[in-house]
Amino acid sequence: MNQQRIDGGARRAVFAPVDSRARVDAVVRRIGDAIELGLLGDGEQLPGESELAGQLGVSTVTLREALMALRQQGLVTTRRGRGGGSFVSLPEAPGEERLKVRLRGWSTEELRDLGDHWAALSGTAARLAADRTEPEDLVQLRRTAEELAQAQDAAGCSRLYGRFHVELAAAAQSARLTREQVALQTEVGALLCLVLGDGEYREEVSERLRFVISAVQDGAHESARELVERCVRESTARLIALRLSL
Amino acid sequence: MGLATAMLDKAPEESVAARVRSAVETVFDAVAATRADTTALLERVTAEGRRPATVDLATLRPGLHLRLARHELVSGVGFVAAPGLLTDVPAWLEWWQTGSEGDVRPLLLDLDHEHSAYADYTHWDWFALPRDTGERAVAGPYVDYLCSDEYSLTLSAPVEVAGRFAGVAAADVYLRHFEAAVMPMLHQLPRPARLVNARGRVAASTDPRRLVGSLDKGPDFAGALATGRPGRADGVRLVPCEGVPLVLVVAE
Repeated sequence: MNQQRIDGGARRAVFAPVDSRARVDAVVRRIGDAIELGLLGDGEQLPGESELAGQLGVSTVTLREALMALRQQGLVTTRRGRGGGSFVSLPEAPGEERLKVRLRGWSTEELRDLGDHWAALSGTAARLAADRTEPEDLVQLRRTAEELAQAQDAAGCSRLYGRFHVELAAAAQSARLTREQVALQTEVGALLCLVLGDGEYREEVSERLRFVISAVQDGAHESARELVERCVRESTARLIALRLSL
Repeated sequence: MGLATAMLDKAPEESVAARVRSAVETVFDAVAATRADTTALLERVTAEGRRPATVDLATLRPGLHLRLARHELVSGVGFVAAPGLLTDVPAWLEWWQTGSEGDVRPLLLDLDHEHSAYADYTHWDWFALPRDTGERAVAGPYVDYLCSDEYSLTLSAPVEVAGRFAGVAAADVYLRHFEAAVMPMLHQLPRPARLVNARGRVAASTDPRRLVGSLDKGPDFAGALATGRPGRADGVRLVPCEGVPLVLVVAE
């Protein structure tokens, strides 16, 4: 599609401030519709996160959740590193199939590296949290582990799994680790839907998270780190196994 | 008798605690003004025989913008509605922040449980403490990944209309700004000192072995705050910053 021929006014409207209440939904629909309508072409790069959030008048947290939803729908793909960013990708198949297509875009080396980064963030967060956590900090983590055990679908479970790791970084009292974790979860969250669809594995995850919380509560920093690293490694291993089967 | 004269009679720790307290009180002034505006607004709406909606809260904005501009320590300010207060939305934050370029911008969160794992804000200390105690509160230091991504203190106070809890008025202070304000005060003391919240979390420190964000697990800080009087414990002197839930801890 030749972008030069697309009407400038309509394109500007795509990036006009969103004022609806369900903001993630509004952003997802706005960009999703624009893609379906061809206002944004296949392969076109979206503006950077902070610029896009500013233009749409939403917070970066909201934008990231919207981008995550768009990735789950297979409408946007994110490439990292030099020349990276979020790119429009035209849908070809629904739901899980689209996610598998996304997963195929990752090499096993990239997935392994993603898992290493995640384990480093969450492992360090767990160790620090064990030193710095007082009982009230654990309330949120417990609530998340409980909600995760009750979650009905993979997408909801993946959001809660992500929230657990973000809350753990916050319990470590580190704004940097927390920001890194939020960014990492927007990358890995969509993919994790593929492995969290398995109800037995969801139970295992919530059990593992409870052990992490207990270790943090006991101030057992090395075992807190080890337990959360093991949990992350298992999730990554499942993703890689699935990737190898595709 | 002026405040300065009164301070001359006190031990240096008590004078520092009093100065920390006044710094925090300036932020509570912003909270109190927001609370007063919100209460007046909600009472007016009630008097008109209807329930408030998000559009009514827009009248708070000039005041919120003014507070962001005037109060050096305040980086975010607003009113957070109790779920169910407003007729058109289940939950709402009328919240404004200073952006990185000094601009003032609204915080727009997704409060739809279907899409966001962060839609429920009622468990955060800055909301739960004023709701449960009816008193003003200082939450943190904590990593505020909901609103600012910053390590912060949030000061808040309950807003009540006809005796019913309607939400909280609150203001955010980023820890780095708080530190810049109180460190010169702590440095006036001859020995390492730190400010600690009721749960033992260090909010500022001139002691390299007791860093900001760490947990001081020794003395009973909540107890010290409850008495409101200076005391001693485990080789340290504890001086509550009267009226503000922070304790000045000085090595003896």
